[in-house]
Amino acid sequence: MVLFAVFCDLVGYFTKNPRLYEVSWWNLAFATVSIFIAIIFGQVEAGLAEPYAASISTLNVHTVLGWSLSGILALITAWRYVIRLQERPQLPIPYLVVSVLLVGLVGIQSYLGSLLVWVYGLHTIPVVDAIKGGLS
Amino acid sequence: MNPDLLKQWDSLGINGLPYLFPIHPNLVHLTLGLFIVAIAFDIVGALFPLDKAAFKYLAIPVTRSALFDVGWYNLLASAIITFFTVMAGLFEVSLAAPLTDVTSAWGLHALETMILHGVGGVLILTLIVGMTVWRGFQRYQWRKDMARQVQWSYLAAGLFVFVLMFVQGTLGAHLGGEFGVHVTADQMLHLGQNPNQL
Repeated sequence: MVLFAVFCDLVGYFTKNPRLYEVSWWNLAFATVSIFIAIIFGQVEAGLAEPYAASISTLNVHTVLGWSLSGILALITAWRYVIRLQERPQLPIPYLVVSVLLVGLVGIQSYLGSLLVWVYGLHTIPVVDAIKGGLS
Repeated sequence: MNPDLLKQWDSLGINGLPYLFPIHPNLVHLTLGLFIVAIAFDIVGALFPLDKAAFKYLAIPVTRSALFDVGWYNLLASAIITFFTVMAGLFEVSLAAPLTDVTSAWGLHALETMILHGVGGVLILTLIVGMTVWRGFQRYQWRKDMARQVQWSYLAAGLFVFVLMFVQGTLGAHLGGEFGVHVTADQMLHLGQNPNQL
């Protein structure tokens, strides 16, 4: 949703299509609500994961970045809310720069989450069984 | 895939892929997110006479047509990205070496799960593209002068696709989480190695 919001902003900016700004805003607002649901599930599942040694640092960074993103996303959405109320014809450049940085953070967070599942296999049955069998 | 055949590709990692982790599970989140937001905003738009008071209470200015714009553009993006989701899925499933001695929580073996997930993926892609065409006709032809841009039957179809996506997603989660497809740690354990060596 963040990725699509920023994509719409950039296309909207270069094609001067204010309709896409609205699409972007609503995607961003939806993302801001969704991220807290994602964090709740993430915290529950991370709490149950009993990560083994090699995976712990990745899980820690994923946790910290996840919580940070909730704050950053809420701030950017609030900023966007104000910009939207001002009914400007174009988005300010600093906002676009910050939102592109946000895309970078979302990319890093997805990368870390992918490592946890697909490389370290947290919550996959073979790893869960191995942890029960003494892997730590 | 037959392990002897996979040896024809000599640069595959222990996860069975020529790269660190599978791409398909990442792309699928774009498919899902875009589609769910599309249908959700069309529902909010269709029920606008009921929900506009909530936006007013929250001091969020809103126009009904903007809600339908979200419904349309998100669906269009979902349709486009899902071709790449399916493409990545077909590539990665063709390199899959699932654990064979496992039965999933749904009582299925790896091959059945892979086939159902593969067929289901193409089916859902077809439905998303079909719904995009349907949505386009409603937006630009049939209902372009109407206050409610979508038919109730379209929203019902969207909710039905949610159910299919849930089934499809669970099958896909079984492939990774239970059959260890492209999960590095699972493949290491299968080979008798310790994933702490990662």
